[in-house]
Formats: sequence, C-alpha cells, structure tokens
Amino acid sequence: MIARLEGLSYRYPGGDSPALRNVTLDVDDAAFLLLAGPSAGGKSTLLRLFNGLIPQFHGGEVSGRMRVGELDPARTPTRQMARIAGMVFQEPEAQSVADSVEEEIAFGMEQHGVPPPDMRRRVEALLSSLRIEHLRSRTLSTLSGGERQRVAIAAVLALQPRLLLLDEPTSQLDPAGADAVIDAIRRLHSAGDLAVLVAEHRLERLFPHISGVLGVQGGIVTEYSARDAAARLAAVPPVCEIGRRLKLTPVPLTVVEALAGVEGRTLRLAAHAEPRTPGSELLRVEALSVAYGELAALREATFSLCEGEIVALIGPNGSGKTTLFRAIAGLIRQARGKVFFRGVEAPDAVAVRTAFAGLVPQDPAIALYHESVRDELAETLRNRRVSTPIDDSLKRWNLASLGDRHPRDLSVGQQQRVAIGAMLAHEPGIWLLDEPTRGADGVAKAWLADALRHHAESGGAAIVATHDIESAARYATRVIALDEGAISFDLPMRLAFGSDGPSPTQAARLLTGAVLPEEVEA
Amino acid sequence: MHTIAWVAWVMLVMVVALTTTNPYYLGIVLLSVLLVAVLAPKTATGVTSFRALLIFGALMLVISVGISVINGNYGSHELFSIPGPELPWWVGGLRLGGPVSAEGLVAALTRGLAILSVLLAFGVFNGAVSPHRVLRTAPAAVFQAGLVVTVGLTLLPSSIEDVRRIREMRALRGARGGLRDLPALVVPAVVGGLERSMRLAEAMEARGYGAAPPSPRIPRLAGMASAPLLLAAASGWFYYEPLRLPAAILGGMGVVAFGWWMASSARSRHTTSLTVEPLPLTDRALALASFALAVATLGLAMVGWEGLKYNPFGGLPWPSFEAVAALIPLAVAWPAFRLLFSSSPAAAPMRLSPRVRES
Repeated sequence: MIARLEGLSYRYPGGDSPALRNVTLDVDDAAFLLLAGPSAGGKSTLLRLFNGLIPQFHGGEVSGRMRVGELDPARTPTRQMARIAGMVFQEPEAQSVADSVEEEIAFGMEQHGVPPPDMRRRVEALLSSLRIEHLRSRTLSTLSGGERQRVAIAAVLALQPRLLLLDEPTSQLDPAGADAVIDAIRRLHSAGDLAVLVAEHRLERLFPHISGVLGVQGGIVTEYSARDAAARLAAVPPVCEIGRRLKLTPVPLTVVEALAGVEGRTLRLAAHAEPRTPGSELLRVEALSVAYGELAALREATFSLCEGEIVALIGPNGSGKTTLFRAIAGLIRQARGKVFFRGVEAPDAVAVRTAFAGLVPQDPAIALYHESVRDELAETLRNRRVSTPIDDSLKRWNLASLGDRHPRDLSVGQQQRVAIGAMLAHEPGIWLLDEPTRGADGVAKAWLADALRHHAESGGAAIVATHDIESAARYATRVIALDEGAISFDLPMRLAFGSDGPSPTQAARLLTGAVLPEEVEA
Repeated sequence: MHTIAWVAWVMLVMVVALTTTNPYYLGIVLLSVLLVAVLAPKTATGVTSFRALLIFGALMLVISVGISVINGNYGSHELFSIPGPELPWWVGGLRLGGPVSAEGLVAALTRGLAILSVLLAFGVFNGAVSPHRVLRTAPAAVFQAGLVVTVGLTLLPSSIEDVRRIREMRALRGARGGLRDLPALVVPAVVGGLERSMRLAEAMEARGYGAAPPSPRIPRLAGMASAPLLLAAASGWFYYEPLRLPAAILGGMGVVAFGWWMASSARSRHTTSLTVEPLPLTDRALALASFALAVATLGLAMVGWEGLKYNPFGGLPWPSFEAVAALIPLAVAWPAFRLLFSSSPAAAPMRLSPRVRES
C-alpha cells in the first residue's frame, strides 16, 4: 500500500464549502487509477494532497488522516515528498526550469544531491524508457507539447518516486501528442514498481489499461472498477454509451470489445435528421496564403461558408488552423489572397472584420478584466454600438445567474463561457472558434454544441477548430482538414466522420452509416 | 563565454558606470557595451527584452534630464528659467521650477548615460546567458532568491507575449485602444503573470527545489549580522573622517561573517550537477581580472580619487581626458575581444563533460 487516506476533508483558504469531503481511500503499490469527473469537481485537489502541495503550498484546512509512503504529506516538506510522489502538471510550458532536455531531467536530482554517476545512469534509463533518446540535447522550447510533457514525466521520475501523479497531462496536447504521453504512462506502469494516479478527460485511451476509476464530483470520491465506471459514470466514451443502450454485458471499453459484444446481432441505423440545406454565402476565402519567413503557414486556402453551416476544422498542431482564423480576422498583415463577406471584399480593419466574423482565440479567458460578468459583456456591446439590453445578452449566453460574479472567481468552464460571450456578444453572423473545448468537460461541450446548433438555425455559420471529433460530430455539418497549411479535404460531416471517411467516430466504426452513438440500434 | 565571466562583466560595467561622471569616459563605457551587444550571442530566453531595455534606457535618460529641469538647478550658466512655487525648507531643498542651468543639464545627461549603459549591459547579459545557468552559479545561501529570480526571468518573455495576445483580444472585441485601454491590458497581464508564476513555483517545489537542509543556525545569524556591520562601516567611512580605522575593521568583520555564512550554506546545502560548463583558463582569468578591476575602481573612488569624475558645477569646464584613466572604461569592452578572437564559437552549447564530476 503506497497511500492511505482516512476520513479526509479539505477546505481551500476562504472557501465556503469543502473541496473534498470525507475521502477514505487506499492506493495499492501497483495501482493505476483514473480520476474522472467534471471540471472543478476536486480532481486536482485530490492529486495535490498526495505530495503535500495541499495544504503546504495552497493553505487551507485539512482534517482526517493520511499517509503516503511512510510519511504524512501534510507535515513533510513537499520538496522531500518529491522522492515518494512525483507530480506532472497540465501545461508543459509552466513546469520546466532548465533549457535542455537532459538538464531538465537532472534538475530534481541535482537539488537532492544525487551523485553524478548515478544521475547520468538514471537520465539514460529515463530517456530510453520514455523513448525520448533522440531529444536528449534539444532545447525545451523547440519541442512539441507531447515531447515536452514526456520530458516532464522523466524529470519527475528521476527522483524514483513510488507514486506518479498526473493532473490532466494531455489536455493541452493534440491527439498525436496525447497518444504518445498516454502510451508512455502505460508502459511505465506495466514495467512495475510504480503506482499511477491520472486525472484525465480522454477516458477511451486509458480505459483498457487501468486498475480502477476514482469518480470525483462535488468533493466526493467514489471508487469503481473500470467496468462499473463505464456502466455508471455520466461522461463516458461513445462506445460505452452504445454498450449501455444495447444492454451489452459487460459494458465494452473499446471498439474491439464492442464489436465482439454485438457479434451475431444485427445493428440498425436509427433515423437521423438530414442536414439542413445551406443558405446564401456568408464568407468566401480565395487563395489565402500566409508565410512566416521561409515557413508557409497557410497555402492557397480556398473555400466558402454559407448560412446554416458549421465547419469542424481539423488537423494536427501546426497545420495552420489558427493562422487561417487570424488571416480571416485581419490580424495578419502579410496575408495574401482575398476574403469576401457576403460577396463584398472585406476591409482591412480588424474591428470591422470581427464585427461580421467574430473570432474567439485560444484561452480567451486571459483577457477578462472587469469586476463582473455583466460588465464584460456590456463592454463589448458598447464597443460594437449594439443596443441589445444587457440582461437579454446574459440570458443568450446562459450567464444570467452569473451576471454579478467576478470572472476570476468562476470555474474554468464558466470562465470560458463568459469569454466566448464577451467575444461574440455583438452576435456576428460568423463565429470562428479556436479550440473552444480544449480541456473542457462533458457539460461544457454539450453547452457549446447547443449554442452552435442554435446559431446555425438562426441563419448564422461557424468554423470550429478542434481535435475532438466525437463532440464535433454533434454539431458540425461539414469538415475541413488542414495539413501543413493546405486544405487536405473538405467533406460533408457524414462522409468525413463516417465509416469509410478519413476520420471515423467510434459509432461509425461499429456501424456503417452512423456517426453518433444514438444512431446505433439493435 | 562562461556564465561566471558574464556575471563578472556585468558587475564591472555597473561599478565603472556608476563611479564615473566624466562624459568622455561614460561615452567609452556606452560604446564598449554596444560593441559587446553586437558580438554577444543572442540565444537565451531573455533576448526578447533587449529592445524593451533600449527604449526603457532612453526613457530614463529623458526622465533624468526632465527631472533636473523641473527640479531647477544651481549653476552660473543659466539657460532659462521656469516659474514654480517656492517650496518650504522642510522638503529638504527640493525645488520646483526656477532657473535651469547648463551645468544641471550636463550633470543629468551624464547620470542618464550611466543608467543607459548599465541597462544595456543587463540586456546583453539576459540575451547571452540563460536564467537556469545563472541560478546554478548562484551561491547556495541565497537559493530562495534564486527561485524568485528564475521565476521572474523565465516569465518575462511569456508576459511580453501575454500583453501582445491580450491587446489582440481587445481588438477582437472592438475596443479602440488608446490610453483608456491601459487597465484592460495591464490587469489581465499582471494577473496572468502572477498565476503563471504560482504554477511554476508550485512545479519547482514539487520537483524538490531547495530540498537540501538549510545551513546551521549560527552561520545564519552571522549572515544576518553582516548587513548592519557593513552599513555601520560604510557610514563611518564616509561621514566620520577620523573613524576610518574602526570603520575598516567593522567592514572587515562584516565581510568575514558574510563569507562564513555563504561557505557554511554551500557545505550543508549540498547539490550536485549533471553537466559541467567548462570554465576555460581565459574566462577564469578575465573574470578574476574584471573582479579585481571593479574592486580597485571602487576602492579608488572611496579614497577620493577624482580620475573618472567631472564636476560641471565648477564653472562648466571642458571635461578632462587622460589616456591612462581612459583605460578603465575601455576595459569594459573586453568581452568583445574575447568573442572575436575565441577559437570556440561564441555561443558554444554547454558540453557534457566526458567524466562527470561534482561541482
């Protein structure tokens, strides 16, 4: 047993209600536990208990008993706890200290006075077990997110902890990077001698490998087996949803298991609404190109967007999605090519362009600065000279109950909604959303899908850059893929996400013609 | 060039620029720093801030002159006079307005030149050396200060990037910009910077930064005692001419106490190092020479040597120039020669020592 919590409760300094209530929990030496649950449900808080960052770094009151290794993390300095419980954080950029990969991995060992020959040996072992030998002398700032995150894991493991804590390690990464990180975690665990606790929204990648799930919601922790979790948690991968609807026992964790489970049964395609016929043209982009020095970030992008269309813009990081948005919004001066709004060439001014095609960039919440949510929206309405009453606007963005709250006191998901509302309060005809669901939980994704469908029904159009095809299938009517700055395909959603398309959803892999879980019937 | 050599150079620039008031010599210092700036490697994360420092330095020069104009000044070559209220004696001789003399302007300009040189030297330093390496050379006794400095230096470039992104988002919300937009830029940038620092500090803590035990109590007390000792010594030396001998003794005691604390911390807070940045003999010699020159310059200034000084208030004489004295500001340019004539490339990456040894 590496860790034991008994009747543990915790309250943040100044918090009204406990962030964790009466948690009793044993963590085995070989445990591989997935922490699942909505944002702000207490996952990060629970993880930080194990190495003493809570309460030592964050303050607040802890009651109950806890033991990690042979130590009490609430009383042992966190820097000492690092030898027992290592922690990897969400953003790769905000946790690195050194310049080069090797220096970064060695940092903790240097601080603990590990003799250099041992240090050298451990660095080599880690480089090889995380399969990052080829990165050894690279500068950290030149690595991709997935590579940096693997370096961060190596750096933490250098102190040979017996417990590895990961706080949403893939939420900021693209699918390729996330896969590499999750593979690495899985291999490390199966190599033995390491208990792993990982908070994660992308359950489908981990489900087949874990020893159990800790459901964390409203500060209450519930232990499940992976099967029970698949059968009972609110937000599960589409394949589990299908398994539940078809009453498969056990509930499948992977598409392969689901295929085995339905063997001998005929699956039917449920009726689904035919896509709306697009209206008149709102936006046309002609041969739009952007080059940064030698690097062509966008090559001759040409497409048009009509009323009622919602485009999912997909492609790996660095393929030009953000550049395309910035060029349409007029933020890139050196962009070549033409942009037309309703057939008229768009003027250069950013303010004029975004009045028609509103852009919500990544992490828009950093720009919030007013004292209340109401003021944030009111400012945009004033800037844009729109006379919509502020209360109507708050209701429109589902913020009526938060109007008087301070944006900084809200949860990440709520902040994101405020920020989207603040960027789009003037209700432009076109919405350009850059990864709006990055790191978001099921509730936030469902709200966004609703908002987008509503917008399209009232004659608007949107382009949404995303890596999450399962939720994109809920709102998109069309899919455009970018690869190295060029459009590689532009297809109706049902073709792109369908069984013989370039990126099928889980439902599509079970049944030809389906894309959403509820379209699969027995 | 080795990190230690860069640290020694920045110290030398600081000492020479701040003890010099002769505009000729200050000009030499500034040109030397600029020469080094052109040749220095610009690889570290801090390089983005060089332009900002240049602008800031120029601004400081303007402000320095501006203040001397508002403050009015004494001098026989009166250029013009600005009206201002008579301030009571208890504000300590501060004036608003009054006659503006050529002497005052010259004094302000030389002060500005010195500040500009020091700022630029720090800009060069930031671009050439990574905060991480500076942290490693920092003495063990000040590891907490090291944490603060690393967090600060690592976040400077990202804060500049934040301000750029927030400005862009303001434009996307249809804000017209201008001065009224300033709080909208500054508040989120500061809050974001603080949040990011907290996350980095949290990560460093979780990685075991400063894990080695603190130094024993008595050396720590000695370290604390060294500050008042040195202060007392300095005030004795400068303000009570007859007390110079006891002041020197007090100063010596302060230095010893400080050194003891540093040495004891280095012993007890035992850290090791995976890679060893090779310290070539040239760099070692140059760093030592810089240090010696800095101490000598400071010492000469303390005993009242006027070789680098210029006092415009003595009737605005033409500043003097002596080739021998000019050698001191000229010595500030040494990294330029080191970088020009070094056999290894200027920005040689840190090499892994084939035989790992403890630092």
